[in-house]
Amino acid sequence: MSREEYQVPTGSGSPTVGGGSFNAPAARDYAGEGGGAIHYICGDCSARVPLDKATGIRCQKCGARVLYKERTKRMVQFEAR
Amino acid sequence: MARTKTKKEESVEPGSDVVMDEVPTSHQPESRDDMSVDEDENDEVEVEDNDAEVEDDVQRVRLLPGSTPTAASFEFLNEGHTLGNALRYIIMKNPDVEFCAYAIPHPSEPKMNVRIQTFDSTTAVEALEKGLRDLQELCDVVTDQFVVAREKFMAK
Amino acid sequence: MPHKPPTKEELEERKIVGIKDETITHVSSSDFPGHYPGEDHSWDIESFRRGFSVEFHQNDPFEASFSLIGIDASIANAFRRIMIADIPTLAIETVFINNNTSVIQDEVLSHRLGLIPFKGGHEGLHNFLKWWRKPTDESEINNSYYDNNTVSLRLEIQCEHNEKAAAGETDPTKLYKHAHVYARDIEFCPVGRQDKYFSGADTIAPVNPDILIAKLRPGQEISLSMHMHKGVGSDHSKFSPVATASYRLMPVIKIERPILGRDAEKFMRCFPQGVIKLEKVTKKEAAKKGSGYEGHEGEDKAVVADPMRDTVSRECLRHEEFKGKVKLGRRRDHFIYLVESTGQWESDAIFLESVAHLKKRAQDLEKQVQNMVR
Repeated sequence: MSREEYQVPTGSGSPTVGGGSFNAPAARDYAGEGGGAIHYICGDCSARVPLDKATGIRCQKCGARVLYKERTKRMVQFEAR
Repeated sequence: MARTKTKKEESVEPGSDVVMDEVPTSHQPESRDDMSVDEDENDEVEVEDNDAEVEDDVQRVRLLPGSTPTAASFEFLNEGHTLGNALRYIIMKNPDVEFCAYAIPHPSEPKMNVRIQTFDSTTAVEALEKGLRDLQELCDVVTDQFVVAREKFMAK
Repeated sequence: MPHKPPTKEELEERKIVGIKDETITHVSSSDFPGHYPGEDHSWDIESFRRGFSVEFHQNDPFEASFSLIGIDASIANAFRRIMIADIPTLAIETVFINNNTSVIQDEVLSHRLGLIPFKGGHEGLHNFLKWWRKPTDESEINNSYYDNNTVSLRLEIQCEHNEKAAAGETDPTKLYKHAHVYARDIEFCPVGRQDKYFSGADTIAPVNPDILIAKLRPGQEISLSMHMHKGVGSDHSKFSPVATASYRLMPVIKIERPILGRDAEKFMRCFPQGVIKLEKVTKKEAAKKGSGYEGHEGEDKAVVADPMRDTVSRECLRHEEFKGKVKLGRRRDHFIYLVESTGQWESDAIFLESVAHLKKRAQDLEKQVQNMVR
């Protein structure tokens, strides 16, 4: 698939566009519970804020504009030294 | 549809991640499996013990070049001031030894050198062996007296 | 010239390190063959046994104090060094962090966890558990963990609001649940035969349950598991079984001429409490000619009560009135040990283990030397 063919996954569920099923994993990887939204943490009220590309960068609860990324879900290994 | 997908993601989540094969050290569930099998894997344990013995067999003492029977330098690997100074003392207590000293030539190398010069009545190697034997005897005496003193103190 | 054997006083004097107001004297031991003409100082186990003694001052699990008398500094120092660096203990070595949203960074948290001292059944810790060695082949690492070389632990904790907290409460420990993460929150996960060795009172647990690991606020979470291995203090001080193991030489205070009256009181105050006491000059002493007590009956005189408590501060050497009346020193062959265990071993057991360790080292090297000659 060339770069021009690529379509931003919408999350609303029509995987036939673009590369067909190829796109589906990508859509799942970036989608949170809100469907196509990624969750951030509000810097003010620490609520979990779902954001998709349409919504403005703003906490729905308190209106704060500072949002933080969530921590990785991966296990990280350290030496206790 | 997207909902079901996320559900799936969540169910995988507890304590694991799909890409974790890359993480070298035991990711919990795996290691636990490994460890619990051990009960009937006694042969495995023995293999480990053998490994330890093999490591002990590595020659750690070496005669340095230029040594004669009555004047020799020894190089000890993986020894330091702890044993070096104790050994130097006990060898110096030997009346047949003219000179004994130890050195750590460089702090970044795990080496300890012992120089022994003896009178004609013995050899450097014999003096070294006697020193190591005397040191063991000394340890026995210390242990005995320590235990006795402790019992006496605790009885009070 | 015929050799005169040393008197008892001379032998005693040889053992003293002199402490002058600005200098020290007679620092090195001289009990070697050939040092004193006509005297035999060669190693003899029987004469060592006769001259050697141990005296206990305190014996608690976390702190033991005892004296080794009649031993050379090189041997005493070997025991001390072995206690600190060569006696193995179990400590957290690897941390697998699944989630940590607290303000303390992953690596700092891991480091703190590593430093927590743990206790457990002695049989299991000292005999059942063996070394874990990192396999040379990295891919083999998952097959290197056994129940007899790895102990696994877990720490899962989340901070939440406490609904029952009183209105206007400001103390975070009451306002929130799990605002503080303590060592007692660490959970031991026994595997295989570990159940047999580490159950009930013998379970693997932090020596002190009240060690603060991290502080949390509502919504923050720590979720991790840990692997413990055996190690030695020379590798990392978290493996050292002692907080400190040290010795000092027995102080010697010799009052050569009487210190009387107000001088005696001032002299007493030059030392820590209990080192010097005051006694009355008796009639008998006052009657004795040339003793220095003549005509001082009933006056206070300074007497050495307990030199072990002295810190050898040399304060008494700074005052003109005590010049020539007192000699300070330390006994070169009297070592007062202080061993403070971190809790995995009993303090006295650590010392015994260090002696056994030195013997084992000498034994191994004897074999090595025989091997070398062959």
